[in-house]
Amino acid sequence: MENQLLLENISKIYGDGDTSVKVLDDVSLQVKAGEFVAVVGPSGSGKSTFLSITGALLSPTSGRIMIGGKEIHKLSPKKMNQLRLEKIGFVFQSANLIPYLTVQDQLLLISELSGMHNKNAKKRADNLLDRLGLNHRKNHYPESLSGGERQRVAIARAWMNNPDIILADEPTASLDSERGRAVVQMLADEVKLHKKAAIMVTHDKRMLDLCDRVVYIEDGRLSEKQ
Amino acid sequence: MFLALREMKHAKLRYVLIGFIMILLIWLVLFVSGLAKGLSSDNASSIQNMNADYLVLQQDSDHRLTRSTLSDKNLQDVREYTEEGKATPLGVQMTTITKNGDSKKSDITFFAIDINSMLAPTITEGKMLNHRAAHEVVADRSLQHEGLKLGDEIEDLASGEIFTIVGFTEGQSFSHTPVVYLNFNGWSTISHNRTPNQDVFNTIALNISANKAKQIEKNLPNINVISKDQALQGIPGYKEEQGSLMMMIAFLFVIAAFVLAAFFYVMTIQKMNQFGVLKAIGAKSTYLARTIIFQVVFITIISLLISISLTFGVSFILPDSMPFDLSAQLVIGCSFLFLAVSMIGALLSLYRVSKIDAIEAIGRAA
Repeated sequence: MENQLLLENISKIYGDGDTSVKVLDDVSLQVKAGEFVAVVGPSGSGKSTFLSITGALLSPTSGRIMIGGKEIHKLSPKKMNQLRLEKIGFVFQSANLIPYLTVQDQLLLISELSGMHNKNAKKRADNLLDRLGLNHRKNHYPESLSGGERQRVAIARAWMNNPDIILADEPTASLDSERGRAVVQMLADEVKLHKKAAIMVTHDKRMLDLCDRVVYIEDGRLSEKQ
Repeated sequence: MFLALREMKHAKLRYVLIGFIMILLIWLVLFVSGLAKGLSSDNASSIQNMNADYLVLQQDSDHRLTRSTLSDKNLQDVREYTEEGKATPLGVQMTTITKNGDSKKSDITFFAIDINSMLAPTITEGKMLNHRAAHEVVADRSLQHEGLKLGDEIEDLASGEIFTIVGFTEGQSFSHTPVVYLNFNGWSTISHNRTPNQDVFNTIALNISANKAKQIEKNLPNINVISKDQALQGIPGYKEEQGSLMMMIAFLFVIAAFVLAAFFYVMTIQKMNQFGVLKAIGAKSTYLARTIIFQVVFITIISLLISISLTFGVSFILPDSMPFDLSAQLVIGCSFLFLAVSMIGALLSLYRVSKIDAIEAIGRAA
């Protein structure tokens, strides 16, 4: 199967000269379509930097990244913005929904940003909400949703732009294990259903059985085995 | 404007509060502007409405008509340079009058004119002065508030001369006093005590080009040629009155800019994390900037509309004697200035938004 995401020899060094810190050291990873990969590591291991670089939020110091067959490590910040909008779906810690948008508008915002605010977008949003069991919450604001519901909305939002990869940053951090599991299950199901690639950064080991593959990150190095 | 409108709808109270401050500020600006304009014409409408471009004054009279004294000789000299009928003398005398037989006093200003010249006022009631009758005057309509009518006699307390009001004109005031027009025969009766041997007056009104004015000033000794605007500034109290009101208006604009700047800056700082998320999911800085600008413009325009209606509403219930004059032109000018000022206030927030890094969204719990 084709690689949706390809990272080759990625390094990230902060600062320069004597004070430089190597946060990522020669990291390589391939994720195929339909594959759900968990990245596990203690705090300070470079998880966030890894996710930022994969998500086109940060440029690597060296190495090559391809998302959906497109090289992204050399893009300008503006192009990276566009790429995030079109190719990447984010699920953040504690959902990070926009407080003044209803559940439906959270999703429609994505199509608004990409300039395709139309009937199709609405239909797509309705479908997603339906599938994630949020239809009855459509016109609610995030403040009146439970933690699990918020995270489900965040997942729906991540799918809205039909991205090539989904990046989840500790999506279960603010949930109890039962709800957390339901959310990760939902994420896994969606990945299988649409044949997309997904990476979930987590330190919650109870969720790992739902993933196809687990990679460990420690001191900026990635390994398949612990 | 997807985000802008939804945010304002959701956080109504915040935006209503800032809108309320804007309404009060704009209202005050419009009101003070109207008052400044009204006071300015209440003070000096005779000069503002005068059919002349330049005035000749005696040298070193400090732009004050009342301080200048010119003679027939000066008039002859000036007329050498101007076309027929473009230079005419004007006598200005501030004094106190009473209605004949009454003890109530009023301050007025006598304007002595050649009644066939361009300075002749428009008559709104009664008839024009005639050329010869020394004891006839045309008065500004505001004297009617003092109970004077056509045919009434007034006494000039300085000279003791008595005049009959034969007509009324309007929009003629000088240093907040109504202007009373008389001819030069009348003028010599009231000024005779001071200058017994010759006819003197204060200024010569000119209807000429700027070049000609410079030429006259250069070639004739002991005189200054000033523009009508300079003459306005020279009216006692005019500059001080307008200056203090203008300072208030300028401060209000500055306050408005800072209030808006502070409000949107605090809002922006509060939403840093949110903007980070928006940027992470692909919103451009320009999109976020447009959202803020839209909100600023929206609030300003709504506040402007409300304030303008409030101002005009209040101007209807103001008493007639209150000098308040708000033209559409002034309102439009103020409105555009306010829009510009509020945009300047938003600049700081726009700067912050442009500096937000999408990476803020990663690895953060709320």
